[in-house]
Amino acid sequence: MKQNDEQNQENVLFVGIDLGTSRSAISASNGKREWIESYVGWPKDFIAEQVIGKPVLFGEEALQHRLSLDLCRPLERGIIKEGIESSERAVKEIIRHLIDLAKSEPGKQIHAVVGVPSDSLKVNKLAIRRAVAEHVQALMVVTEPFAIAYGMNLLNNALVIDIGAGTTDFCIMHGTIPSEEDQKTIFTAGDYIDEQLFNYLIEKYPNSRFNKNMVRQFKEKFSFVRTLDEDIRVELPVDGKPVMHDIKNEVRRACESILPALVDTTTEMIARFDPEFQMKIKNNIVMAGGGSLIRGIDEYLQDALKEYGACKVTRVKDPLFAGSDGALKLATDMPAKYWEKL
Amino acid sequence: MRREILRSVYEDNLVMLGQGRSLLTKRRLYLGKKYLIAALLCIIAVLVNGRHVNISFSPTELTAQTAMMNMAPALPPPAPEGVPNPAELNSVAGSGNVALSRMFGLKIKTIMIDAGHGGSDSGTVGKMGTKEKDITLDIARRLRQHLEAKGNYRILMTREDDSAVSLNRRVELAKTAKADLFISVHINYLPQKPINIIETYYFGPSTDANILRLAEQENAGSEQGLSDFRAIVEKLGKTMKLQESREFAESIQSNMVRYSRKQNSSIQDFGVKRAPFVVLLGLEVPSVLAEVSCMSNREEEKELQQEGHREYIARSLALGIFDYLNKGDLTHEAKR
Repeated sequence: MKQNDEQNQENVLFVGIDLGTSRSAISASNGKREWIESYVGWPKDFIAEQVIGKPVLFGEEALQHRLSLDLCRPLERGIIKEGIESSERAVKEIIRHLIDLAKSEPGKQIHAVVGVPSDSLKVNKLAIRRAVAEHVQALMVVTEPFAIAYGMNLLNNALVIDIGAGTTDFCIMHGTIPSEEDQKTIFTAGDYIDEQLFNYLIEKYPNSRFNKNMVRQFKEKFSFVRTLDEDIRVELPVDGKPVMHDIKNEVRRACESILPALVDTTTEMIARFDPEFQMKIKNNIVMAGGGSLIRGIDEYLQDALKEYGACKVTRVKDPLFAGSDGALKLATDMPAKYWEKL
Repeated sequence: MRREILRSVYEDNLVMLGQGRSLLTKRRLYLGKKYLIAALLCIIAVLVNGRHVNISFSPTELTAQTAMMNMAPALPPPAPEGVPNPAELNSVAGSGNVALSRMFGLKIKTIMIDAGHGGSDSGTVGKMGTKEKDITLDIARRLRQHLEAKGNYRILMTREDDSAVSLNRRVELAKTAKADLFISVHINYLPQKPINIIETYYFGPSTDANILRLAEQENAGSEQGLSDFRAIVEKLGKTMKLQESREFAESIQSNMVRYSRKQNSSIQDFGVKRAPFVVLLGLEVPSVLAEVSCMSNREEEKELQQEGHREYIARSLALGIFDYLNKGDLTHEAKR
């Protein structure tokens, strides 16, 4: 940033952090970009610690050892659970781990911008502040879709839809920092799809054995809406024997279960806006987050909004890091005087 | 523009730390002052033009007013029996300040169970004379026992015996008790079809004629028409109550179906639906209406007369509630 003096640039590592329900990512001014699954697990007892060989595990590794761990997914629905000690502790661990992954040089200060869901209220932001503050020297909290918008230079007449695991966040940008009225959070997001898919599969294949983690992996690998040419077949054990199952219809139904709320909220958000600029916003809708990777979802939304006039829906190129990259851009652009006062 | 945005981010964070005041708050204070001035002007106008104001101090009305105030001191002027006060409903609908306990990680303390119908209102009556009001009360009592036994919650019921409680009174009871969760238990009746179904509703608009008919049936006792809800529904749509209630409904429905099918594989899953039920309208908390069984099905009516079956339904409802409350908690999911 032009206004940051050289001394600051040298002594500070700027980081942008996207704290998500499912995944958390960090982008740092030294070029490091890393992500982890937002699961934290601590060995249940001394024996478990001996077997696992680590005091704390993250992400996939934590899930694999879940029977030996006290497992925590602290950002349930994108919000840190206020007052629940293990959740705050888990967020602290995630932040510490992410900052470790950013490999800051010794002695450097860390200035962080952290993205949280749109509808986080003050109390939630404060809980995140508390959890992050231990590991950084200066901190700002912003909403995730705003961080994405800033990073993509979508500062005016744009609607960002961030489909995460716990929440789908909507944010209208109109040249200023979005107010409460410009943002909305709904809960039909990735976890909701997982749940639907899990139920559909139980219904269709009652004798097969699978768990929610497997279902989540199916979703991440195969998700689509409307049509798909190829078959979706997965191997699930039945009475201990691996059997191939066709899950294409179930994947489609589960993915499409989030569409009504997505379309309703998008139209509601646009309708809230000044009619003069509605057309501009409709032509500048950007989808981000893991949910934007669902095949065909952008075209579906674009077609669903056609009855309200022409519109254009695009997807961010790198949904995993769009939030953290945007937060990093905010951090590096932020004038040094503002950091000093925090 | 960018510089202005950065400054706003900084100021917003200062506000968060209690070191500043947001532009939004300033705007609200300004509006607040305007409202205060407007209110003062209104009071002056009322005092000056007292003759135009129809104020009656007849003993009967005074008693009625006092009674209503005792019941709900914070509410606007009383409405006639059975009719939700529009101002009250609108304020609820438009507040957007929904008590989303789970979202904010707050503890669910109070759960209100509503046993459908009661007293002179029998609800549906099966071919063998089984009354909906008796079954719902029994299931509600059993549900209370399960919730009390397995969770650290305050469990309340809108009725504990065969008494008539108006729909609006049920809502008031839940609100006065500051319930964090509300579940209304009902039994379905499909005279044209011999099937046995389970379905769960949360409050919202519906275009399905059958659902509207059912809503009309369940709303008997409230004089408010379905069309009156339109504005309220639109406002509610802007809050997250719908989202929460839908999730709550899905949790209830999936558990009821899963466990009922273990007993009776022919039960049909009619899923989670939206409908404008009065009993769900005035609440700011996640609230659902569960049609836990279907009295028009002769076999099911026989089953409902069995204590074991009612116990089974109560358990599946309790599981649905616990699933909803523990959603995302892997320890809970692993146990399940």
